[in-house]
Amino acid sequence: MRAVFEARRPSARLLLQILVTAMVIPYLFPLVVMVQGSLAGEGWGNYRAVFEVGTIGTFFKSSVIISVSTIIIVYVLTMLAAFGFSKLRVRRKEVYFWMILAALTLPEVVLLTPLFATTLALGVYDTYWAVVLPLAALQIPFTVLIARRFVDGVPDALFDAARIDGASTFTSFRYIIIPMTRPIGAAIVVLTLIGSWNAYLLPLVLIQDPAQQTVTLLPQFFVSQFSNDQTKVLASAVITAIPEIVAYLCLQGLFERGLAAGAVK
Amino acid sequence: MVGILYYCIGETGYLSTLDWDGTSPTPTSVGLQNYQDILVDPIFWQAIWHTVVFFLVTFTAQTAIGFVFAALLHSKVKLATVYKVIVFTPVVIAPATMAPVFRQMFAADGQLNWFLDHVGLGFLSQPWLAQSSTAMPVIMFITVWNFTGLTFVLYYAAMGQIDPEVLEAARTDGASNLRTLVSIVWPGVRSTTVALAMLSVIGALKTFDIPYLVTIGGPNYATEFLGTYIYRISIPSAHVGYGAALSIMLLVLALLGAIAVAARSNRKDGESGV
Repeated sequence: MRAVFEARRPSARLLLQILVTAMVIPYLFPLVVMVQGSLAGEGWGNYRAVFEVGTIGTFFKSSVIISVSTIIIVYVLTMLAAFGFSKLRVRRKEVYFWMILAALTLPEVVLLTPLFATTLALGVYDTYWAVVLPLAALQIPFTVLIARRFVDGVPDALFDAARIDGASTFTSFRYIIIPMTRPIGAAIVVLTLIGSWNAYLLPLVLIQDPAQQTVTLLPQFFVSQFSNDQTKVLASAVITAIPEIVAYLCLQGLFERGLAAGAVK
Repeated sequence: MVGILYYCIGETGYLSTLDWDGTSPTPTSVGLQNYQDILVDPIFWQAIWHTVVFFLVTFTAQTAIGFVFAALLHSKVKLATVYKVIVFTPVVIAPATMAPVFRQMFAADGQLNWFLDHVGLGFLSQPWLAQSSTAMPVIMFITVWNFTGLTFVLYYAAMGQIDPEVLEAARTDGASNLRTLVSIVWPGVRSTTVALAMLSVIGALKTFDIPYLVTIGGPNYATEFLGTYIYRISIPSAHVGYGAALSIMLLVLALLGAIAVAARSNRKDGESGV
């Protein structure tokens, strides 16, 4: 595409460049504050102190387990649901589809009390399942919506041809849907990763055991641990943010496309 | 999976008719009393008012900044990738991770006041989070900081879809940069704006992490939202029944909000013949 703003003269170009730079400063400032604050006082000693507490590893492990399980559940169920809604004949499927869409507006805080009671009753309170299942359930309406739209674009003729060649429904799913939906599949994985890795409220309420808490609870853990020594709390914030930033920088295009696919309906 | 969600809504509906502390074995049924109480609860109305103002301000700011930024980066500025990464990075960081950073930054002896002092604006420095008048703008700033990256990426992609020949024709006819932006680019990305409005309405109603972690709804309820209010009523104060009734109100509002935005955008499509 052609430039939206056309700046032919060098002075105009310089002006645009200055304008963009001025606009990003407020976005950069908090990140600079975070790093600079974490190095105040004892400098790198803050980081050493945070690592010496020794719990960082367990918090990361919990977050990894929760994110990976959520991603697997969301991916499998979304693909099956998208295939079913788009290509199979299911009675009253549009009614089910609208019921799923209505759940898009559901705030998680509304679910806290019933989830608390339900997880206690099922005996999964204070386990990873108590967080993984609701996280997956909250993610699925969104992912089904975008995946169905994508699967709708796969021509029916492919499935007819497969059936004539004697393929079962599952074979069609495995060898047509899975390979052809890779782009949207990647978007779903990224969306779910961010949603589950950044989840705060559900782990806060549904997991008590410190050995199973997630990285989003880490800053608060250190607030009590270091009795409000801000520099160490900020060091712990930097440590939790780094994996996310590195993942984003490595998979820039994938993250941006994935989140964009999730937002445009 | 969706079964879990609907089961929870059903249970919330039932709980909302109780006066229950969450643990006692004999909850009292009070019928619709909880709902009557909500209608005269000043904090509830305050939270609604905050949500409306919050939505209007953050949506306008994000749209304006995201749109202008996307247009600028479509204009062959140097180091475009660096700018893009800076604006998008906040989207991937958890609000829970950034909360202590913002508490520190906006503290009375924090970096923002330090910065203001050093650029000669020292008279502006104040305890940002401790005053009712400034706490809400800070929460809004953090939200805008957090989500503009998404707005920007969507507009950036949408602008890439605009037919270059239309832009070319406008230029040939002597349209200025501003004129092109207003008359061609802005209408060209309308469907993105609608999708973002929908997300913002739902997002504003769901707001929890940022006000809870940065200001805990205070000072003096100045940053109380429905989400933080429901949490405080249900968990620390253990008025489970009242919390559930508030939850049902929130759910109804979220559905109505989404329907309102969808209906409005459909009507506009009809009018313009799209």
